[in-house]
Amino acid sequence: MNLKRYSKQGLLSLFLICAFPVHFWTLLLVLRDMSWAIQRTNAWDAIGLASYGLLYALVECILLFCVVACLGFILPSGWNVDKGIAFLSLLFLLTAAWAMLAQLFFIWNFSLPAWLLKSLAHSAHPLRTLYAGSLVVVVPTILLPVILFIRSSKVVSFMKDLIERVGPLSMLYLFFDLVGFIIVLVRNLA
Amino acid sequence: MKHPFSRRDFLRMAGALPLGLTVPHLLQMLAHPASVQNNPKNVLVVVFDAFSAFDIPVYGFERQTTPTIAQLAKRAIVYRNHFASGNFTSPGTASLLTGVLPWTHRAINLNGTVTGSFVERNLFRAFQKYYRIAYTHNGIVSTLLNQFRTDIDELIPRERYYLEPSYDLFLSELFKNDSDIFSVSWARNMQVNENGYAYSLYLSHLYEYLQEKNVEDLKPRFPGGFPTYDLVHPFLLETAIDGLGKRLPHIPKPFLGYFHFMPPHEPYRAPVEFYNKFQGDGYRPPIKPISIFANANHKDLADERRKYDEFILYCDREFGRLYNQLESSGVLENTWVILTSDHGEMFERGIEGHGLEVLYQPVIRIPLMIFEPGRETGMTIDTATNAIDVLPTLTYLTGQASPSWAEGTVLPPFATAGSDPNRSLYTVQARNNPKYDPLIQASIALIKNNYKLHYYFGYPQTAQAGFMQLFDIKSDPEELVDLYLSKPDTAAELLQELKQKLDDVNKPYQ
Repeated sequence: MNLKRYSKQGLLSLFLICAFPVHFWTLLLVLRDMSWAIQRTNAWDAIGLASYGLLYALVECILLFCVVACLGFILPSGWNVDKGIAFLSLLFLLTAAWAMLAQLFFIWNFSLPAWLLKSLAHSAHPLRTLYAGSLVVVVPTILLPVILFIRSSKVVSFMKDLIERVGPLSMLYLFFDLVGFIIVLVRNLA
Repeated sequence: MKHPFSRRDFLRMAGALPLGLTVPHLLQMLAHPASVQNNPKNVLVVVFDAFSAFDIPVYGFERQTTPTIAQLAKRAIVYRNHFASGNFTSPGTASLLTGVLPWTHRAINLNGTVTGSFVERNLFRAFQKYYRIAYTHNGIVSTLLNQFRTDIDELIPRERYYLEPSYDLFLSELFKNDSDIFSVSWARNMQVNENGYAYSLYLSHLYEYLQEKNVEDLKPRFPGGFPTYDLVHPFLLETAIDGLGKRLPHIPKPFLGYFHFMPPHEPYRAPVEFYNKFQGDGYRPPIKPISIFANANHKDLADERRKYDEFILYCDREFGRLYNQLESSGVLENTWVILTSDHGEMFERGIEGHGLEVLYQPVIRIPLMIFEPGRETGMTIDTATNAIDVLPTLTYLTGQASPSWAEGTVLPPFATAGSDPNRSLYTVQARNNPKYDPLIQASIALIKNNYKLHYYFGYPQTAQAGFMQLFDIKSDPEELVDLYLSKPDTAAELLQELKQKLDDVNKPYQ
C-alpha cells in the first residue's frame, strides 16, 4: 500500500470536496424548512434546527471523507496525487448528484409514468426490475465521465479547476459549522 | 440570684413541647377527610394525549371504544363535564401541572414553556415529601417536565420506551437540555423514509436501514405503521406500560407518578387486533354546520375518526393492563389513580384534530376519572370542572399544603364547601399570540351554568368585534343550535364577563 498517495494539501482538497455537496444539500433543505420551523415555535429554535443540521453535516462529511480517502488506495499507483484527488472528487460528486436527484424525486413529487408502473407491476419481480432499470440509467452516467477522465487531460484539468473553486465555498460552510457548533453548545449549556 | 426560668418550668415546658408541635398538625389533619388521615397514599396521574370524552362510551359515545375503562369506571368517580384548559398539549398539560389557566402560566404557544414564576409552582413541587416520578412519550410534554425537573426525583427519558436503537438514546441523553429541537433536527436529518428526503444525503439511508432492521419483527403487528411521536419516533404503548408498571412497586413510597402517554394522539395507528375494527360499523355522527375555521372534508373526517376510535381501543386495553399490574403488585390498594387527558380531538364541522382555533366540545371536553383506594362503587359528578382543579384536589386528598397559587378548586365530592353553581370555567387557545403580549388573537370558551360562550377574536376569519357563539350544553351537548342571537341577554352578560376577565389577565402584559 502506497501511504504517500496523499499530500496534506490533497487531503484538504478532498475533504473540502466531500464537504461541499453534503453542506449544500443540508443548507438547501434547512432554508426550505425555516419558515415552518419559525412558525412551529420561534426564530431561535429555527436557528437551532439549522445549527444541528450543520453539525450533522460536518460529521457526515468527515465519515465520507474517510471512506473516499480509503478508496484512494486502490487507484493505479502510477497516478500522481492531484490526478488521484481529481478522480475521487469526480466519483464523489457524481454519486452526490445522484443522491440529491433521488431525494428531489420526492421533493418535487415526481412519479413514474403510469405505463411504466403498470408494466413493473406485471413483471415477475417488480423490485428487481426497478433496480435493474435504475442501474441501466445510473451506470452510464458514472462510467462515461470516468472514461472521459482517464482518456482526456482536459477533463482532469477541469476537475482540478473545480476543486480549487469549490474549496473556498466549502471553507465558508465549515465556518457555518463552527457557528452552528457554538449555537448547539449554547442551547445545551443554557 | 433567682432564676426567672426554673428547672421545673423547663420540665413543664418540655412536656408541653410535643403537644405544641402536634396541635397544628392535628388541626391540619382535621381539615381533611378520614381517608387522608391514614398512611399517606400514592398518587398516579395517567394522561392519554388528545383523548376526547366525546369518543368514550362512558360519556355517551355509541362506539364501544373503551370496554375495559367502562368496567373499571364502575368503581371510579367519573366527572361527566370535565374540561381541558387549552385545546392542545402545551397549554392543556401546563394547566394540569400548575393548576392555573394558560393566560397565567403562559405556555400558550406550540412547545411553549411556563413563565419563570411557575417553574417552581407545579404539581411536583406541591408533593415535595413524595418520591416523584414522571414519563412521557411526547416531546412537548417533555419540554414542560424538563422545566420542572428539579422537583422530579425520577424523570425517565422519553426515548427509553421508543423503538429506537441505543445510539439514539445516547444522543438524546447528550442533548437532553435541548431535547425538542434536537429531536426535530435528528428527524429532519435522518428519517428519510417518511417523506423521501432528509438533510443527510448518505447517512440517512444507512440510519433508516438500521432502524428497519431494529423493528422488522414487530411490523406485522401494526398494519398501518407504528404509533409514533412527531411521525418519526416509533413506540409501542405496551413497552411503556410494562416498564412503568414494573417500576412502581420498587420506588420509595409514597410516590407521585405522572405518566403522559402519546396515544390516541395522531397518527392513529392501532395494532392488528384493533385495526379496521370499526370499519363499516354503520356509525353516523350528527351532521354539524361547517366552521368558519374549517380545514378538511367530511369523507376524510369519518375515516380519520374511525382510525382514532380504533386507536382508543389500544389505549383502553393498555390502561386496563396497567391497572391490573398495579392491582396484582398491591400498589393499587394504596394509590389514587387519576385518568385524564390534556385536550380532546375533533372530527366535525370540517375540522380534524386539535390545536386549531375552535373550542367545540370534542376538543375540550376530556375524561376525568378518579380511582379512589378501596372504592367499590361508582359515582358520577355532573358539575362542570376544569383541569386546573386536579392539582388542588390531589394536594387536598393527600393532606399536602394547599398550593397558594392554584386557580382551581377542590373537586366534588371531596370539597367540603360544596361547588359554586355560578362558577365560571375558561378554556383558552392563543397559539399564535406572542407569549408575553396581551392576548390579541385568541379563542376563549366561558362555561357557566348550562351555557357555553365561544369568543374568537383577532383572526382573519373573524370580524373586528370577534366571532361569538352561545350554546346550552346541557340540552344541546353537540352544540348544534347557536343561541347567540336568540338569547341576547345571556350572551351579552357572559361576553361582558369574559371581556372583563380578558382585560384583567392582559393588564400585566400591557
